[in-house]
Amino acid sequence: MATAQSDHIRAAIQQRNRRSRSSRIVDWVRTKPEGGIAVLFLAVQLVVIAVSLANPSFRYLDAANIAVTLKAIAPLGVMALGVSILMIAGEFDLSVGALYSFCSIVAATLTMTWGGDSGADVPSAIAPFAGLAVGLLIGALAGVLHAVITLRFNIPSFITTLGAMLMWKGATLLYHGAQSLRFKPSEPFNTLFNSSIGVVHASMIWFLLLAVAFYFLLHHHRLGNHFFAVGGNRNAAVAIGVNPVRTKIIAFGICGFMAAFSGILAGTRVMSIQPGGGLGLELQAIAACVIGGAALNGGRGSILGVVLGTALMYTIQDLLLLLRAPGFYFDMFVGGLIVISVITNMAIRRKG
Amino acid sequence: MSDLQIIEPEEKPIKGLRPTETPLLEMRNITKRYGAFVALNSMNFYIGRNEVVGLLGDNGAGKSTLVKMMSGINPPTSGEILANGKPVNFNSRADSEAAGIETIYQDIALVDQMSITRNIFLGREITNAFGFMDHKAMEDKAIDILGSAVQISGIEDPDKEVGFLSGGQKQAVAIARAVYFKRNILLLDEPTSALSVRETEHLLAYVRDLKNQGTSSVLVTHNLYHAFQVCDRFVVMSHGAKVYEARKEDTSIEEVTYHVIRT
Repeated sequence: MATAQSDHIRAAIQQRNRRSRSSRIVDWVRTKPEGGIAVLFLAVQLVVIAVSLANPSFRYLDAANIAVTLKAIAPLGVMALGVSILMIAGEFDLSVGALYSFCSIVAATLTMTWGGDSGADVPSAIAPFAGLAVGLLIGALAGVLHAVITLRFNIPSFITTLGAMLMWKGATLLYHGAQSLRFKPSEPFNTLFNSSIGVVHASMIWFLLLAVAFYFLLHHHRLGNHFFAVGGNRNAAVAIGVNPVRTKIIAFGICGFMAAFSGILAGTRVMSIQPGGGLGLELQAIAACVIGGAALNGGRGSILGVVLGTALMYTIQDLLLLLRAPGFYFDMFVGGLIVISVITNMAIRRKG
Repeated sequence: MSDLQIIEPEEKPIKGLRPTETPLLEMRNITKRYGAFVALNSMNFYIGRNEVVGLLGDNGAGKSTLVKMMSGINPPTSGEILANGKPVNFNSRADSEAAGIETIYQDIALVDQMSITRNIFLGREITNAFGFMDHKAMEDKAIDILGSAVQISGIEDPDKEVGFLSGGQKQAVAIARAVYFKRNILLLDEPTSALSVRETEHLLAYVRDLKNQGTSSVLVTHNLYHAFQVCDRFVVMSHGAKVYEARKEDTSIEEVTYHVIRT
């Protein structure tokens, strides 16, 4: 009996699965925010590639330009992955930029102290990894701390992490001072995090590996399902039996961990760390998530969207640099892009 | 201030009926306080086998507090809860789930941004040993559930986001979830408030069917006509206490209405 009554549903699904690939792609673009951003991203790439093929003085396709863009994407992308998980779970962390600086400075200082500098007489191979581990641990614990304060006192995470942002910024100056810090870790750490395969820098490979891992976590793992549930409708999640406190603590922890990792990746690449280098990154990371279709009030978002959002931001930045436009154009373009992408996402959502 | 009067509730709390056999769930002398406010006052309540209990009373009578307590998300300040005659603690949703209780909420407990399938299996995902979800298995089951459990038209795609469904369809999904996970007690908190007339008839018929299949229900409602269509016993609450209780055969709709209005 049950099967007979389900027949019309099965038939509808079969019909859906029989559609041609092109109509599936059209549906994906029309109903999913990441589909829309993918189209925009491809369109921008096609136009720019066409222009640079026609006009060789426009150096978009130069190996050097591609290498620089790929290098630039990774740190913000890694941070945005963590931020997107937390946004989907319905919370913010404004302190990721400050954590980016603090954790990388701690990791670099410890690496130096433990003899992991490549300029040392007998550089220690393990020291940079130990420094990395401590930095990542501090990032994750800081995230958990933000979560516990937010949830224990039931205040908006916006406020908790606004306070935390200033606190970690101050802590960075207290711990290290305002001067920049040299960071040239020994081998094999340097090769793992600061070599290139062709135009692809190691940090980009780490970003892509993490993006794949996050994709499976968010879209195919039980925990990812709970992030969406807790961010989408916290009361429903409680009623159904998902523990929102545990879920959000994990999301904050992941976010802090990723902020630390992104800081250390960036520090390894440029071989020095500025104590103020992470400031403003938190808003860029949120912007990348929003452009990629994450909802500001939780429950929506995708890893593909975050990757494309970050890539699109840096493509625009790269184009403006190639056109020798002053830096403020970048902010103006990204600002416009954020608003436009949210408007189109809302339109997509209403259409269903 | 000699003219200050204390206004007593018109109806005094009563002990009510005693269960004749071991009930599925029994609440004895339940009190719930929020600071100085007493939400439930020495409340006795039970759910027997194969019965539908109507929980009635005006807004603020304590019905929702009691339902939340039975679904485990609102532990009592004092009192005893027994499942199948054995004392249990209801401190979380997991405790009430172990006692076989499922709740259909007034503000429907579904996540609008997620698909029907994901909502049905939320918190009980079908996963492998590493926690990764088996989407195919969940979709297959969801199709079966949607076809068999609740015949509310218009749901043709278990992949659809719940936010796009009507109130009745959402209710159907919530009930489908309860039925699939084979509960022996279904708590329905104002289930018909978001439904059309036809969907309401469907739902009430469905509650009767479930009773015949061995699932007892508690129906919290403002609508006494709906209650009279399906309930076997009525409990009227006022100011956090029970003020009237009767089996359907021992009372009339007028009498029940009288007790609801008087409080």
